[in-house]
Amino acid sequence: MTDVALSPASQTLLRHYRGQVLTRRIYSVIGVVLVVVALLAAMNYANAANSGKFFERLPYLFDFLKTFTPNDPMEIFRAMFDIESPYYDGSLKFDYTSDRHYLTESLYIPNFVYQLIITVNIAVVSTIIGGSIAFGLCFFASANLVGAGVVRWIVRRIMEVLRAFPEIVIAGLLTAVLSIGPIAAIAAVSLHTIGALGKLFFEVVENADMKPEEGLRSVGATWLERVRFAILPQVLPNFVSYTLLRTEINVRASTIIGAVGGGGIGEVFRLSIGRDHAAKTYAIVILLLVTVVCIDQFSGWLRRRLVGNQSFELGRGAA
Amino acid sequence: MLKISNVSRRFGDKVAVSGVNLEIPQGQMVGVIGRSGAGKSTLLRMINRLADVSSGSIDYGGLRVSELRGQALRNWQRDCAMIFQQFNLVPRLDVITNVMLGRLNGRNPVLNLLQVFSPAEQLEALKALERLDIAATALQWAQTLSGGQQQRVAIARALMQGPKMILADEPIASLDPRNAQIVMDSLRDINAEGITVITNLHTLDTARAYCERIIGMAAGKIVFDGTPDELTTDVARTIYGADGLKEAFSEAMTSTSIAPVAPLRLPRTPTNAQQAP
Repeated sequence: MTDVALSPASQTLLRHYRGQVLTRRIYSVIGVVLVVVALLAAMNYANAANSGKFFERLPYLFDFLKTFTPNDPMEIFRAMFDIESPYYDGSLKFDYTSDRHYLTESLYIPNFVYQLIITVNIAVVSTIIGGSIAFGLCFFASANLVGAGVVRWIVRRIMEVLRAFPEIVIAGLLTAVLSIGPIAAIAAVSLHTIGALGKLFFEVVENADMKPEEGLRSVGATWLERVRFAILPQVLPNFVSYTLLRTEINVRASTIIGAVGGGGIGEVFRLSIGRDHAAKTYAIVILLLVTVVCIDQFSGWLRRRLVGNQSFELGRGAA
Repeated sequence: MLKISNVSRRFGDKVAVSGVNLEIPQGQMVGVIGRSGAGKSTLLRMINRLADVSSGSIDYGGLRVSELRGQALRNWQRDCAMIFQQFNLVPRLDVITNVMLGRLNGRNPVLNLLQVFSPAEQLEALKALERLDIAATALQWAQTLSGGQQQRVAIARALMQGPKMILADEPIASLDPRNAQIVMDSLRDINAEGITVITNLHTLDTARAYCERIIGMAAGKIVFDGTPDELTTDVARTIYGADGLKEAFSEAMTSTSIAPVAPLRLPRTPTNAQQAP
């Protein structure tokens, strides 16, 4: 072997290193094999539980969509903007006009757009409420700012409890108390947002560079002042990013909650798909898609305007 | 021979490097000095192609470095190793693997991603570490090492690349005098093997002690190019723009060494001696 050229100490090191590499490879192979076996077994079990129909029924996947088509493509846009349908026969299916929301004698907001505004409003309001509370709580959950373990323990458990229940479960409980409507939806989404954003926020705070904090401590600043001037400027860009991301998620959440009585687009969507109103359903799907794309673009633009490209680059400033 | 012809680099409306012409023969040890923002780092980064030139060209032998792309560019970057002020190692990876990362280019990409290195490469990495006297740290995470040790790991990684040239961007600016000396001695050792070393420095006496040629930059232009002997205090004052200062330009301010290091002329191979200016 060419190992002779190495000093005895280095030869020992090399042996150790090769031992480590071997151990790592053995564990990796075992891990991969276990995952593959578990996955195959689970798929086999699921297929059996499905009376072995999975592959048999797969070709029929698109049959529902095939029968669920509007009379003509223009119907979708008539449903979207509440324009009278030529197929109107007195039934709800083609009745697009009776749900118009009139602002003046002639100017109206189409029903689906109105419902969409309700849904987006629920999302935005609950992000603001939940985000504000999460912002206030997150500093008390950060190990680098709060020495008292009890405080951190309590705040973190509160966040976990709020995060543990899906919005739809909280909404179900709240509609029983607050009755059906957007208020219950807002409360449900806000509560979940506190837990979810609070967790993300305090992790950002814990990853902050503590050198500025030390600098402020050395001039005799109070805890609040240190948080305000040493921590906040560092973490704010990431807070903004996470809050905007949460807004997008909350639009989806409040749509779903609408379907269980929270009001908004989710409710009309559930009704139209349940009553086999194809044109209305497609109209809502398109509206939702456009809304999500718009919010995504807008929040991306807003983030760049507010924080530049520095978010998610925490710690780079340390160099 | 590295040839830099009329190279400029602009960031928006700010000119970092402006019309630089330079010829550096193979095997030279060159120190680049100048104030912060004079364009030293940008110049080095353009040679390695971490930054692109705005205009002008960089050639090495018959290779038009400034226009390389894809695999050819990566091959050039392998041949022209870079050492950074902040070391730029992978912090949560053991030292020996950090060194072997210098070999990534030209290996089987699948083996690279699986982090599989041949026994010969492991041996070579350990030898490089031994040469820099830090073999004992081979199995530690890079982030557990001191600054001086980390910089030596970075040099070992550069050696692992089998470079024709080493570019060091303020390699000793974050180090204490003792470690600075070890790092500079290592670079001089490497240079003695015929590898070109171009290093940005903040300390005049280090540049004088270690470099056979010193280049002074100010506001993106080369304002001095000569031997250490020609770098008088007056010239240094011009480079650093200290003319207007009332006090005498204090070289002690820019000094890091514990004791004056005697300028050491290295034994050169005949080919290097011919190429030297």
